[in-house]
Amino acid sequence: MAEVQQSGGDSGKKGHQKKMQIRVDFTPMVDMNMLLITFFMLCTTMIKSQTLTIALPTNEKVQNEENMSQASADDAVTIIIDAKKKPGPTPGTLVVDSVNGNVVNEIYYYDGKPGGEAGMLGPGGAILSQNNNLKKSDLLSDEVNSVGDHKARGIRQIIQERNKAVLEKVTALKKDLADGKFGSLETKDEREAAMAKYNEAASKVRKDENIKKPVIIIKSTPEASYRGLVDILDEMQINSISKYQIDNLTDVDLIMLDDYRKNHKE
Amino acid sequence: MGRVKIARKSTFIDMTAMSDVTVLLLTFFMLTSTFLSKEPTTVVTPASVSTEKVQETNVLQVLVSPKGQVWLTMNNDTSAQWSNANMRVALLDEVTKLYNESHKNKISFTAQQKQAFSKLGSFGVPLSQMGEFLDLADQQEGLTKMDQWLAGEDLNPNHISGIPISKENSDDNLNEFQLWVKAARMAGNDNLSQAMKDGMGVAIKADQNTSFEVIHMVMDNLQTIKQNKFTLLTALKAGGE
Repeated sequence: MAEVQQSGGDSGKKGHQKKMQIRVDFTPMVDMNMLLITFFMLCTTMIKSQTLTIALPTNEKVQNEENMSQASADDAVTIIIDAKKKPGPTPGTLVVDSVNGNVVNEIYYYDGKPGGEAGMLGPGGAILSQNNNLKKSDLLSDEVNSVGDHKARGIRQIIQERNKAVLEKVTALKKDLADGKFGSLETKDEREAAMAKYNEAASKVRKDENIKKPVIIIKSTPEASYRGLVDILDEMQINSISKYQIDNLTDVDLIMLDDYRKNHKE
Repeated sequence: MGRVKIARKSTFIDMTAMSDVTVLLLTFFMLTSTFLSKEPTTVVTPASVSTEKVQETNVLQVLVSPKGQVWLTMNNDTSAQWSNANMRVALLDEVTKLYNESHKNKISFTAQQKQAFSKLGSFGVPLSQMGEFLDLADQQEGLTKMDQWLAGEDLNPNHISGIPISKENSDDNLNEFQLWVKAARMAGNDNLSQAMKDGMGVAIKADQNTSFEVIHMVMDNLQTIKQNKFTLLTALKAGGE
C-alpha cells in the first residue's frame, strides 16, 4: 500500500532502467501517533461527574411557632452518622480502612424522640441508660440470593420497613412500567415518554399526604466523613423517601451516643 | 536430493493500515477530550447512585479541601454577552462593591488586574490580597507562582490560600465566601442567577473523607445567604442500586 510501483514505460528501448519501488516507511508516523494518543487519553476526563441536589431550610429563626412544621414522633426516624474511633488510651483517633484509606463511618438510628416518651434525662440531669433507644446499624448493600431476589440489609432494611406503604406503590408502578402500561418501550422516544409518565406518577405517590411515610432526620457528628452523608442521602433516593432533612446534632444525641458506647463495648 | 530453497522475504511491514487506525483514534480523542482543569487541590468525590449529570454551564463550583479551604470556579455559557471574560469582570466588580460596603479598608482593581482575573481558572485568595495576587500574572513565571499560592505551597507565610470562610456569620456581616456567592447571583447574568435559584448553579465538590464539620460549615454559609438549594458533585457508584 505504501509503495508506488513505477513500471518503466519504454524501458525496453532505451537500455536497461531499473524498476523503481518507492516505499514510505510509516513506522515513525505510527510511533508519533501513539504518543499523541497516549497524551490525549491520559489528559481527558471521559466520565462526567454526577450530582445530587439537596434543599435545606433557611437558617432564619421561625418567629411564629405555628409556622414550624413538627415531625410527629411516630413518623420520625433519626439517623446519626459517626466516625468509628479507635478504642483505647487515645480516643479521637479515627479508624481508617486499611484497603482504601477511607474514614470508616458508623450508622446509628432511633425512632421518635430521643430516649422515647420518658426522655433521656432524669431529674437533676441524670442519664437514664434504660431509656436509650439508640440502635446501631450498618450501611450494607442488598443481599442477592440464587434466584436474583434482592433483600435489603442494615439501615436500608430499617428505612424500607418504615416506608413500606410508599415502596409498595412505587414497586407496583415499576411493574406497570415494565408491563408497558405507561406506553410502549420499543423506541428511544417512546421509552423516554413512558419514563417521564412513570416518574410523574412515582413522585405523586412519594408526596401523597394520605400515605403513611416516615420523616427522616439526618444528623452527623463533626468527625464523620462526607461520604457517610452522601451514602445516607443515597438511601433516601433508593428508598423513595420524600421527607428528609439534615439537622444539627443536639446535646441529647451526643449523650445517647456516649451512653450507647459505654454499654456496648466491643 | 534437492535442497529446499528458502525464499528470501523482505521483513518490511506495511504500517499504512496501522497509521490509519492511530490517526482515527487520535482524531476521536482530540474531538472528545475536555481537559482536566487545574485545581488547587485534588479531591476524590464520593460515590452515589444519582445519575443526574452535572451542568456544564452556568455553574459556580465550590471546591472544598479536607482542611476547610474553599476555592471557587465559574463556568459560563458561551453567549457573547456573558463570555467567561465578561462574566469574570462583572463578578469582580460586584464583589468589590459588596466588600467596600461592609469593610473599612476599601479595595479597587486596575484594568490590568481585571484582565488577569478574567483569565483565571479557580480563584481563592482573600480579597485584601487579591491585587497582589493578580499582579503576579505579569511577572516572569507569574502563572506558576499563582498556582503555588492557590495551592498553599507559597513560601511567603503571609499569602493565604483559600477564600476566608469563618464560622461566625451573621446577616449584616457576611464573610468573603458569602460575598462571592452573592456577587455571582447579583452580577447581572440572568442565566446564572436562575440556575443558582434552582439549585443547579451551585455545586459543592469535596473529598469523600472530608469531615462533616467542614461540609456543614460550607452548607451553613450558603444557608445564611438563602442559597438553600445546591448540588453535591458525586461519582457514579459502580453496580447501581
